[in-house]
Amino acid sequence: MGIKRFHYARDVEEALSLLAAYEGRGALLAGGVDLARGLAPEVEGLIDVTTAGLAGISADGGGLRVGATTTLEAIRRSQEAQGYLGGFLAKVMGHVATLPLRNMATLGGAVVSAHPWADIPTALVALGAEAVWQNEELTEKASVEELYRRPFRAIFRRALLTEVRFPAWDGAFAFEKVARNAGDIALINCACGLGLDGEGKIAWARVAIGATPHRAKRLTAVEDFLTDEAPSEELWAEAAHKMKTEVEVGDDMRASAEWRRSAAAAIVRRALDRAAKGVTGDA
Amino acid sequence: MKVVGKNVRKVDGIALVTGQPVFTLDVTPPGAVVGKILRSPHAHAEIVRIDTSKAEELPGVLCILHHGNVPRTPYTTAGQGWPEPSPYDSFLFDRKVRFVGDRVAAVAATSEEIADEALRLIEVEYRQLPAVLVPEEAIGPGAPVIHDEEESRGIHDPQHNVAAAIDIRVGDIERGFTESDVVVETTCEFPYVQHVPLESHCVVAYLDEEDRLVIRSATQVPFHVRRIVARALGVPLSRIRVIKPRIGGGFGTKQEIILEDVAAALALRTRRPVVMKYSRAEEFVAARTRHPMKIRIKLGAKRDGTIHAIEMDVLSNTGAYGTHSLTVLSNVGSKTLPLYNKAPHLWFHGKAVYTNLPVAGAYRGYGATQGYFALEVAVDELAEKLGMDPLKLRLANHIRAGETSPIFEKIGEGRAGKAQVVKSCALEECIREGAKRIGWKEKHGKKTSEGRWVHGVGMALSMQGSGITDIDMAAATIVMNEDGSFRLLVGATDLGTGSDTILAQIAAETLGVAVEAISVYSSDTDFTPFDTGAYASSTTYVSGGAVLRAAQEARRRILEVAAAILGEPPESLDLEEGHAVSRGTGKKVPLSEVGHRAMYVTDQRHIIATASFVAPESPPPFAAFFAEVAVDVETGVVRVVKFVAAADCGMPINPALAEGQLEGAIVQGIGHTLYEELLFSPRGRVRNPNLFDYRIPTAADVPDIEVVLIPSDEPTGPYGAKSIGEIGINGPAPAIANAIYDAIGVRLYRIPFTPERVLKALHGKSMG
Amino acid sequence: MLKIYFELNGEPMYVEIKPGEMLLDLLRRLGMKSVKEGCRTGECGACTVLLDGKPVRSCLTFAAKIKGHRVTTLEGLGSPANPHPLQEAFLETGAVQCGFCTPGMILVAYDLLSRNPDPTPEEVREAITGNLCRCTGYVKIVEAVLLAAKRRREGVWR
Repeated sequence: MGIKRFHYARDVEEALSLLAAYEGRGALLAGGVDLARGLAPEVEGLIDVTTAGLAGISADGGGLRVGATTTLEAIRRSQEAQGYLGGFLAKVMGHVATLPLRNMATLGGAVVSAHPWADIPTALVALGAEAVWQNEELTEKASVEELYRRPFRAIFRRALLTEVRFPAWDGAFAFEKVARNAGDIALINCACGLGLDGEGKIAWARVAIGATPHRAKRLTAVEDFLTDEAPSEELWAEAAHKMKTEVEVGDDMRASAEWRRSAAAAIVRRALDRAAKGVTGDA
Repeated sequence: MKVVGKNVRKVDGIALVTGQPVFTLDVTPPGAVVGKILRSPHAHAEIVRIDTSKAEELPGVLCILHHGNVPRTPYTTAGQGWPEPSPYDSFLFDRKVRFVGDRVAAVAATSEEIADEALRLIEVEYRQLPAVLVPEEAIGPGAPVIHDEEESRGIHDPQHNVAAAIDIRVGDIERGFTESDVVVETTCEFPYVQHVPLESHCVVAYLDEEDRLVIRSATQVPFHVRRIVARALGVPLSRIRVIKPRIGGGFGTKQEIILEDVAAALALRTRRPVVMKYSRAEEFVAARTRHPMKIRIKLGAKRDGTIHAIEMDVLSNTGAYGTHSLTVLSNVGSKTLPLYNKAPHLWFHGKAVYTNLPVAGAYRGYGATQGYFALEVAVDELAEKLGMDPLKLRLANHIRAGETSPIFEKIGEGRAGKAQVVKSCALEECIREGAKRIGWKEKHGKKTSEGRWVHGVGMALSMQGSGITDIDMAAATIVMNEDGSFRLLVGATDLGTGSDTILAQIAAETLGVAVEAISVYSSDTDFTPFDTGAYASSTTYVSGGAVLRAAQEARRRILEVAAAILGEPPESLDLEEGHAVSRGTGKKVPLSEVGHRAMYVTDQRHIIATASFVAPESPPPFAAFFAEVAVDVETGVVRVVKFVAAADCGMPINPALAEGQLEGAIVQGIGHTLYEELLFSPRGRVRNPNLFDYRIPTAADVPDIEVVLIPSDEPTGPYGAKSIGEIGINGPAPAIANAIYDAIGVRLYRIPFTPERVLKALHGKSMG
Repeated sequence: MLKIYFELNGEPMYVEIKPGEMLLDLLRRLGMKSVKEGCRTGECGACTVLLDGKPVRSCLTFAAKIKGHRVTTLEGLGSPANPHPLQEAFLETGAVQCGFCTPGMILVAYDLLSRNPDPTPEEVREAITGNLCRCTGYVKIVEAVLLAAKRRREGVWR
């Protein structure tokens, strides 16, 4: 009963060896926000991975690499994140929880916890971010979107997420969220990105929607619909309309499917509009 | 005035801003053990068998209490004056559980972990009973009887789950509506909301060196705790001492005896100090809530806008126990109907009904909040139907100084009231000032859009009371020290409101000294005189009245001694700046000399004065509230852009503290208007007993708030003061509802106004 | 049990802790009673302390994590005899009602002013959003922080 040992992992290998040795009774600890809120009764050993040297942010071409134990607030304030996509990722961090929690919570934690209502997975799915993880045998990577299609909870019972890589995009992204009040989780959120070709037409579009109340998903039908079209208010309205039929929404105690469908359309339209203005520099 | 009317610093402020250990759980006696409560997983069940043997075998478990080993005495957990107006329908532990979270057993153990483990090891066999979660069904045919026990007393109609009922008629209501040119009828609904004090309920109970039971508790009502614990446990009142240290907010939930009785029982049984606290989840589930209500209101008016008839029909949900059921229900009418006193025909009726849901109790506003939501939305509708500016309609109908209302006499605190003429009222000025600050003329009825945000303004009025007439009594003692300083001993309970400070200001003003010359000691049943406690907006008026009288008596005694020193008659002397000063000769003597002489030199005596004050009436404070909102018509999100409250609390003793009461109450009100609500599973379990999903306002949610105090001089109040603690919470729901209507033309009758409800109403409108 | 070294309000500490102990419980055990328990889920902010100068929730921080780090509680800022200008400002503006949220509130304000000496009212509100107050409506708390910021710029600060 209760935590019997606490380990400060010096590197990834040590963390993974310890995790394996506990045979299910150990837990990797980063910021601790989710872990401390819902500590499983079988956990006897905590393995702190924030001592494993995984924190850090670096520019990677036009992209970004963020170490798994980097705190959300560190990302929000970092020069590198502010330089990536006009500070899009940094701004998303500002939507997440509140400052003292952002000083604790890590990007890796957010990816692994993958709360369906969370904002970060939505942004990461839209951005095509790639998660990198290690288990005792090998290093693997996959897009966050792909990861969430796999049994990722089982994966992370014996693996450690080490890094998230953000690709370069020629275009702009915008994030929208409706919550009950400040510091709240989303009742619905979305992240949309657009890039234009030489003729001013949409070269690519990314539309991800989360807290539906299911985990973030891309709406590829809407993305396809937008591609090769010229940006306009009418186009956003049509895309939003199309999205209403595409999006899978559900009820939970926070909001109904019906409201989510309407609100999703509204925020997708806004996000597309803002993203388009970001591309053209109007924002 | 030298001290009264000034923003003096809180007397307990320096301890609070430096984090000194002044709260209940900051000091625990050596050897303290932990008490914990086992709670019911069922909404309604009989306990068939309870087996504590495994739990008792666990090392470190000292005692387990349950219905089989404690006295079975019916009592009420409502900390109210005696005779208590709430039914005696609670037991320390009962054979039956009546809501998910009801008490089943309690454990004392040497650590929290052991106590938790012991709770897991208690075996309880329940026989589940049909539960009723909807008030309408609870009073319908064939509903399960929630209080079928024989011992309960004072329940209005236990067989039909009616805890309390009221039926008050003035004039002839049918005639009133017949004679009216315009009639509106509407039904407003108020859900389960919770106080959420930052400090949850907590207590330390121990036996002192003389074997007396000491209860150190975060309570608003130390003297009622003493009386009720004495009754529940069968301990003589003289053997109990209750101490209230600093407390971390109450708002009414700490007017309840829900932990002291158990902690005391465990301390008596184990003879060890017992520490108990509610977790945040317990606070949501098993502390108290506001009474959810459905209020149907019907207003009739003459063509010229004179309100002629008002009917209010209330269905109040008191949850599993009837604490405050009658008095909150009464207040729905008694605190609202006198506001529009021109109406000769009134009918106020309603029921407070048991359900298998968490227990409602006292919460700031105390029924008036629910009542004003309905009344002020209905008045807005009436104005529209009359084609009148709602501001003008209100101006034409509200009560003025020198006027009365038959309601004052008809409805009291669980009994008939007392006739009362309003002696001070600055409501008209409040309305005009508030209207100016919100820009009523420029904005009302002229919705403006900023993209998807549509703006509107709305208003609401309110009054409250100041204490409970002929019931609330407070006493105060002033003790002079030989250096000319004083000790002020009051039973009054400062729950963060600053009452220790304003009581010191009243004493200091009367005694001609600075606040620093007064040391306040409050809320200790062994060492301070009686006070009914901090509720019903009573402290400034009632406790302040006692302090004023005690200080006046002390002043008289000081002047006697000073007169002997100065050789002048006491009538010619004043107390100023720490001296007794002759108005005639200008001769003066410092109070330190008066104190020394009285204590040590000649004709020795200790200058001490005690006085009591009973509320002779309950002078209402008044307020006008104005909200500007912006509604996102695409998502239904409502943002409060600006909120103005202009209030008449008589002469504010400490304006900054009075403003703080208003600001805090307004923001709490914005919370329940926009997002606060307890949600339940179909089996009656609270689904959001945490701050993650029960959202309360944060700093970033607060609009631009302007509060204005418009003074009036209340002749019966200390230095002209009336109350301010509760009134502010009555305004936000109706003012925001009316502002939303002004913005989008849709009326919302059920709070909170979530994006979901707003959008649904908007879509309903466009479809209809 | 686990022995850790850390710095508490500028003083070196070497203490024995349970491996699963939370920082909130450790600090209160060490007499830092300004650190309050309000919810134990990180929502209310009453338990906020500064870890290496940054506000965190002590109720969700495992005590073992502070090994080798710097922890500041309200006790480390000022005392009744020698209050910090922020504490003075809270007193002066009437920003304290029950006082239960005050320790955490002052610490997040301290962090804000260390980063941003001249915040706008909006920036103050944003910075204290994670700290709930149920008494004041935040109006006078925001005033207090702005007043302290002004004094800090005027050089009345330690």
